[in-house]
Amino acid sequence: MSVWPFEIVARTERSSRMLFVVPVLTVVLTVICATIMFTVTGNDAGTALYSIFVEPFLDAYGISEVLIKASPLIIIAQGLAIGFRARVWNIGAEGQLTIGAIFASLIPIYWVDQPFSLMLPSMIVAAGLGGVAWAAIAALLRTRFNASEIIVTLMLNQIAAQVLLYVINGPLKDPRGFSFPQSVSFPPEALYPLIVEGGLLRVNYSIILTLALSAVAWVFVAHSFSGYRLHVGGVAPAAARYAGFSANRAVWLSLLIGGACAGLAGVGEIAGPIGRLQPILSPGYGFAAIIVAFLGALTPIGIVLAGFFMAVIYVGTDGAVLSAGIPSSAPMVLQGLILVFYLMAYTLVNYQLRRKPGRMRA
Amino acid sequence: MTNTLIFILAGAFSTATPLLLAAMGELVAEKSGVINLSIEGMMALGAAIAFMIAYQSGSHALGFLGGGLASVALSLIFSTLVLVLNANQVASGLAVGILGLGLSAFLARSFESLTIISLEKLDIPILTALPLIGPVAFHQDVVVYLGLGLAVALASFMSKTRGGLILRVVGEDPHIAHSLGFKVLRTRFLAISFGAAMAGLAGAYASTVLTPLWSDGMIIGRGWIALALVVFGTWRVFRILLGAYMFGLALLADLAVQSLGIRIPSQLLTSAPYVMTIIVLTVVSKDALRIKLNAPISLGENYKPSK
Amino acid sequence: MKNLLKSVTAALLIGLSTPALADDPLKIGFIIPNAIGQIGWDYELNRGLDVMKEHFGDKIEVTAVDSVGEGPDATRVMTRLVAQGTNVLFLGSFGHMNDGLALAKQNPGLAVIHAGGYMNDTNFATYAVRHYEGAYLAGMAAGYATKDGQLGIVAAFPLPEVLGIMNSYVLGAQSVNPGLKDVKVIWLNSWYDPARERASTESLIAEGSDVIFSLFPGTTSTVATAEEKGVYVVATLSDITPVAPTKHLAGIQANFGPIYINLVQSILDHTFEGKDTFAGIKDGAVEIASLSPDLTADQKAAILAKQEEIRAGSFAPFTGPITDNTGAEVVAAGASLDDGAIKSMAFIVKGIDTTLPN
Repeated sequence: MSVWPFEIVARTERSSRMLFVVPVLTVVLTVICATIMFTVTGNDAGTALYSIFVEPFLDAYGISEVLIKASPLIIIAQGLAIGFRARVWNIGAEGQLTIGAIFASLIPIYWVDQPFSLMLPSMIVAAGLGGVAWAAIAALLRTRFNASEIIVTLMLNQIAAQVLLYVINGPLKDPRGFSFPQSVSFPPEALYPLIVEGGLLRVNYSIILTLALSAVAWVFVAHSFSGYRLHVGGVAPAAARYAGFSANRAVWLSLLIGGACAGLAGVGEIAGPIGRLQPILSPGYGFAAIIVAFLGALTPIGIVLAGFFMAVIYVGTDGAVLSAGIPSSAPMVLQGLILVFYLMAYTLVNYQLRRKPGRMRA
Repeated sequence: MTNTLIFILAGAFSTATPLLLAAMGELVAEKSGVINLSIEGMMALGAAIAFMIAYQSGSHALGFLGGGLASVALSLIFSTLVLVLNANQVASGLAVGILGLGLSAFLARSFESLTIISLEKLDIPILTALPLIGPVAFHQDVVVYLGLGLAVALASFMSKTRGGLILRVVGEDPHIAHSLGFKVLRTRFLAISFGAAMAGLAGAYASTVLTPLWSDGMIIGRGWIALALVVFGTWRVFRILLGAYMFGLALLADLAVQSLGIRIPSQLLTSAPYVMTIIVLTVVSKDALRIKLNAPISLGENYKPSK
Repeated sequence: MKNLLKSVTAALLIGLSTPALADDPLKIGFIIPNAIGQIGWDYELNRGLDVMKEHFGDKIEVTAVDSVGEGPDATRVMTRLVAQGTNVLFLGSFGHMNDGLALAKQNPGLAVIHAGGYMNDTNFATYAVRHYEGAYLAGMAAGYATKDGQLGIVAAFPLPEVLGIMNSYVLGAQSVNPGLKDVKVIWLNSWYDPARERASTESLIAEGSDVIFSLFPGTTSTVATAEEKGVYVVATLSDITPVAPTKHLAGIQANFGPIYINLVQSILDHTFEGKDTFAGIKDGAVEIASLSPDLTADQKAAILAKQEEIRAGSFAPFTGPITDNTGAEVVAAGASLDDGAIKSMAFIVKGIDTTLPN
């Protein structure tokens, strides 16, 4: 340690120039690593990188897919960030998404032959309640028994996955589905309408809901006293108590908002691209959203941008498997690299490297 | 029936071993105040590298070595993020975990579904011949015994040595540790590296001994179980050891249930370790004093050397 | 407001390309759900693809992609293939069915060919293989090879297809070995769990099974474990000699190639229909493979003779009288089950010791 002549110190002010540098640095580092990787696997690095970073923007289809992918990431991350700012670590969005989806699915499964016009809105409410209920377990155990919400929400993720497997192998299984573990397909009334009907574009109105909620989050954080108190409660618990805001309320509020948002992401999937209940609802959105929240610097606008960025990467790397022939296992490596590089670059915003002040004994 | 019972009681030693190894590693990291959520990814990378090496060289020992080293290499990224750059531990752990899972699938992609021969089970004179206990406890592979031995060694390291004391002080309060002259970051670095090495060995055991084959995604949540185990064992080595065996049994309980013809949803049995962990955590956390004795106070918080 | 929003977004998304009908070659997209190993489902799909490529040469142009399981990302891969002008889409996972159907509806010019589905549409065809025919033959081999009359089965989910294979296997074993004990079964309740497969296999062996049947598990774990423990092993889908070089007893080899060739030829001839193909030994889609050298020449001859009977149509595995494990007669003497009954099978034949999970 002592040989190293530099130290990392907190910046007193956020560098706005750095907010621009971070994504650029991330992309540059990733491109370097990806080029090495593709050269090793014998693919044309240029074609692959073009597929990843450019192709998603080239046509309506790519943009539509990016919107679909971004929606759950953004909505979950907005909910989580409110908690993270208050230092409440909800790692359980994946489970809250699952339980929210199961709650929502009860409506179209029960009334599959009698669909009604308010089916989708009632599903959205049910999904929010499901996510809230699952998150409330963690909030209760944390506030009443002091049990770490990190561990409890992690465990609840695993349990939720088993609950889903149970219901689609049992009570919610499609009776005419030859025993395959999945529910009936939902009626059209239970699905988000497509923004552009009758084509390949799958993007639906859930992205509008997501963006609207992001705006609400922005107002909540920037302009409301509750948002301020939540933030203070995280940064300085004593000051928050002085301001009349208990730590327990922060825990409850954070987890319930996070759970509700994850539940909404769940209904966005089953009432969107999936259209029924099945064993796999989310390719890890709950975990990816944690990182999106951090990439977005825990700010509502940052999260929207980070969510779109991550969505481009997901869609682009999937596309590169087809158009550049990279191994199907490569996208996950690239996604991992981007997350790592982003976290590294992000610290540059808050910290700077500078030469250690001279000391007598090095 | 007796055969099935013996098989399950004995088999739990094997299914427990990767959980125990990974959990002991995570215990050390957490004791130093660092929560490492990348165990699943580190186990996967360890499993992939260990299998590739064992397949090519025919040597399990080399496989274990490679698996452990690969995980340590991956953990350097995690250490850099949380110790040098002060990035959030939760986000860093998840990011590195995703990278580890990706790398395992990528590097071992041409080894998909290949198989090797497992390690032999050792017979111990006299002991193996004992009724019931013999075939259950004294007919295991060498890594099972090494794991048990490591648990004993780790327990005495934690409670009896100066190194263990430093580890605990750093985890309790890094600022006090610093003022006492202990090197906080160096301690945490070593703890993370040890944790990663153990996760790598756990993965190596999974892919070269427990199920001697490579298949993408084969760790399927065992890393999360290991994380649960640390909490379930309330940060105490011997309770973790006991918990590992119980969780190992839980993974096999489905077989016993089926052979008895009892109809219990397999999902209920699979959830059992996670539910038990939540219950244990709730009970021990309720008594703030009791958890304080074991749980590292500064867990999850970075230490920024000031001034 | 809503309309305004709609038109603005629509304007943003202009540029939608509908799939162009290319003249030649036929553009084929081929989706395989998992990584391709050396035996098993994904390997066989890929082998079938190779046979098809070999057969049609430059008349077709194939884009194949593996490790695309079910879920929203699978849909993206399918949709992208269609957007790139794919004419024929092969889907390799049951979980791809609903998205495939939706795509077929949206794109009347597209032909979708799905493995294992139970729904059809004018341009959505399905195919399945009569594994149960081969299972009967493999069951005969197991009946011959077992010393203690105790067979064990490691099976994935109790789906109708799995029950059909299991029943046929046990009927085959009973037909040559009257001393057979009740067959033991362990359900994995999972498509993928190599550690549970291994434990299940070891457990069956500990309980005395001397022939293990690996019925659709997701990995090579069951076969490899039996080989390691020195117990005969039978498996669905592939020749298992590479994984069990000494203890392979029989493999129920599936050949998807002939099915693919027929379907693609019908597309080239403009006679393609969205119906189900249920192909068996007669069609070259199933055969008995990797028969153990430990079987006597007479035993092998009996098995191969039975294969020829099935090929010729003079024998069908589900020919009565068949009794289920509650003692009820499910197929009357002299009658045979039709394809509909085989595809929705929900009973277990007498002589199998299991309760269905859930």
